[in-house]
Amino acid sequence: MKKTVAVIFGGRSGEHDVSIITAHIPIIRSLLATGEYNVVPIYISKDGSWFSENAMNKIEYFKDENYEDKLTRNKKVRLLFDGGLKLIWPGIKIKSLSIDVVFPAMHGTFGEDGSLMGLLRMAGVPFVGCDLHASAVAMDKVFTKQILAAEGISVVPFVWFEKSSWEKDRSALLKKTSHLKRPVFVKPVHLGSSIAVTKAKTEKELENALEVAFHYDEKVLVEESVEDLIEVTLPIMGNEKLQLACIERPLNKTEFFDFDSKYLSGEEKGSGVNAGISEMPANIGEDLSREVKTLGKKTYYALGCTGTARVDFLIEKKPSAKVYVNEVNTLPGSLYHHNWKKAGVSGAELVTRLIILAEERFSKERKTTYTFESDVLKKLNGFKIKE
Amino acid sequence: MKKRQLTKFNLCYPRTIVYMLQASEYKFRDYLYWYFRVEDFRNVECRKRLQRTTKSLFLLISAWLIVISFGMVGTFVLYTRPDIYGVVLFLLFILCGFYFLAYIIILPFLMVNILQYPIEMWITRNARQTLENHKALKIAVAGSFGKTTMREILKTVFSEEIKTVAPPFSYNTPLGISKFVKSLKGDEEILLFELGEHYPGDIKRLCRLIQPDMGVITGVNEAHLEKFKSLEKTTATIFELADYLKGKTVYINGESDLARQKALPEHILYTRQGVGGWKITHAKSDLSGTHFTIRKGDIILNLESGLLGLHQTGPLSMAAHMVFSLGVTEEGIVRGIKKTKPFSHRMEPKVESPGVTLIDDSYNGNPFGFYAAIDFLMYLTGYRRFYLTPGLVEIGEKTKEIHEEIGQKLANSGVEKVILIKNSVTGYIANGLKRANFKGDLLWFDDALSAFESLPYLTAEGDVVLIQNDWPDRYN
Repeated sequence: MKKTVAVIFGGRSGEHDVSIITAHIPIIRSLLATGEYNVVPIYISKDGSWFSENAMNKIEYFKDENYEDKLTRNKKVRLLFDGGLKLIWPGIKIKSLSIDVVFPAMHGTFGEDGSLMGLLRMAGVPFVGCDLHASAVAMDKVFTKQILAAEGISVVPFVWFEKSSWEKDRSALLKKTSHLKRPVFVKPVHLGSSIAVTKAKTEKELENALEVAFHYDEKVLVEESVEDLIEVTLPIMGNEKLQLACIERPLNKTEFFDFDSKYLSGEEKGSGVNAGISEMPANIGEDLSREVKTLGKKTYYALGCTGTARVDFLIEKKPSAKVYVNEVNTLPGSLYHHNWKKAGVSGAELVTRLIILAEERFSKERKTTYTFESDVLKKLNGFKIKE
Repeated sequence: MKKRQLTKFNLCYPRTIVYMLQASEYKFRDYLYWYFRVEDFRNVECRKRLQRTTKSLFLLISAWLIVISFGMVGTFVLYTRPDIYGVVLFLLFILCGFYFLAYIIILPFLMVNILQYPIEMWITRNARQTLENHKALKIAVAGSFGKTTMREILKTVFSEEIKTVAPPFSYNTPLGISKFVKSLKGDEEILLFELGEHYPGDIKRLCRLIQPDMGVITGVNEAHLEKFKSLEKTTATIFELADYLKGKTVYINGESDLARQKALPEHILYTRQGVGGWKITHAKSDLSGTHFTIRKGDIILNLESGLLGLHQTGPLSMAAHMVFSLGVTEEGIVRGIKKTKPFSHRMEPKVESPGVTLIDDSYNGNPFGFYAAIDFLMYLTGYRRFYLTPGLVEIGEKTKEIHEEIGQKLANSGVEKVILIKNSVTGYIANGLKRANFKGDLLWFDDALSAFESLPYLTAEGDVVLIQNDWPDRYN
């Protein structure tokens, strides 16, 4: 009997559209190609409404310019947590469907940041990818760096601010960045896909960059720019035993790898993030490759990642080659399936293995005891509250 | 059954009927056979579309005139009898227009044929006269399979030193060949022809038109068995070429049992071991092509070809033997064989991004070709191998036996993944796989299109996918 897999995508995030691409290419198409699953698409609109209909299994549904208008006429799908996750379609004849596994395909806020994972934990349904804790930490670039630094993993020197402090005393915060070598990168802490990331060389540029970043986030990171660098990235899959894809070097056309170059500049549009503009495997020599792989695994374990994640590295070429972990992406765009393909893992195998990993983690978690018998409520009446 | 009848009543139905006639190559028997198998007339025109030709447009207009005529009669009845019975009769006439269209279309169809026949006779007579007066050596290729490949091999090798021409595409009918003959300039030295056979007598008719001086029989098997009804009839039809060429040079594929058994001592047999005293050694084949050595006495030729599969060594060495006997030099043979490349949709390798090799063998629809392709995969090492097929058509009573054998051969070849399209024959392949204890993965798809669309998601770098045969709409 086929398992029912719900693919959740869209969402209240700046990466809403990217999420639609990830969901369809490769997740839904690969799931359908296996012939092993009933695939249920669940689309979360930009206002947070949930919809599900079979037609959404095709990306053409979302290419229609009027799809958002069309959705206003559709009934929203409801969720029921009843020994797992159930979808309910209201109407004269109520229709319901039990979900066996959820495949989150949501980038950024309310999805990749752990929010969706929290919901799925509450529902008690296996879900693909990193769990709540790893997702929440990896989404916060500052937490990530703090944890990695504590684990002895090299990260680029950085400082961070909150919007409220910035609004109170700009000059004091700018002063805090004075020990960082210029130029610096300014990044909203919780956004992915390089949205609102700016490189600042002067104080004026830094101030403008912070303004832009605070427009998108409450928390902002300022870090030294590694000049004369090689950027590489490494997709990883597994729970305890890890499988590594190819070390990939994005051959970006812009000064740094921004949203457009990540998702729109590829020669093979639609075939995945970075397809056609990357070097795979990265030609960085055996020693550096080994170091990147070791650091990748260490980072993956340090953050408690499961399922899959992508670790990004900055390699400083001079004075001596040094590898920094830049950030961790717990839901890589399009699952980096082009990279896995290069490593000999087809899209169908990728999604199948991720589902198996999700089920393994779920069954392991079910053995954990979360509740126990207690007489604390009975005793409550016997106590007198001391004033 | 109910669905079949109900789906006739749609506005696309007249077009569907004309498409079916066209896709059946205007062979009424084939059209009717297809017509009675259709379960849903809305999904007939899938793989191809109706081609606009004078004939198809005439039939389409006729089809609509038939439907409209019924409607007009119904309207007249309603006009003369404006009561409930009139309405019922009106509706009945409208429905009858659609219902009987598939049969009434035979009238305009016969009309076209009656008009066409003398024109066709005149065209083929002119072509016969042109060929009779043409000084070139005429070589004809007949067989159940491998005709186009043989024609193209000969053309490539001969062309190194002799002016050689052949009809393009699969022009192998009297009209197709006549059309080609019109393009001849008169200075050609070799003319190559592929002879198409569908029914007994077809090859004899084409021989009368072409008047060949030499012939090649590429083999006999179950292809078109549904039309020939028996392998004896198929063999007899194909050997109409040998009969015509009595006393002249005829090469016969010795790897085809039926052809070998029918061959006479004067015929020259070719196999992957050699041809006419020439021996083949050191043969190997991989994705880069086929390499082998042929030798006879002091003559040793190291040959390499872009064609895939050890089964090609037979036809390639036969070509070498034939062109050598007609004066092409040893150097010319080596150069010519090197220039032979896979032909469109016939064991044609295409590198798919990223790093996936697709071998397009979609025009290969005969058992011999199936076995040869599986054999090629068996010896292909270092790759994960996929094999995708909807199976074979027109092999009549041998359908079960041949498909089960394909399944067994696949299982024994060690292919890692088999992708089958759900239809009336692939179940037998699955049986064969099971019987031979297939260790790989078996994947099923409802139709070829969805299988093709899924391939990029099923494959990874270093995979080889062989796509074998493609069913036209009329077999779905």
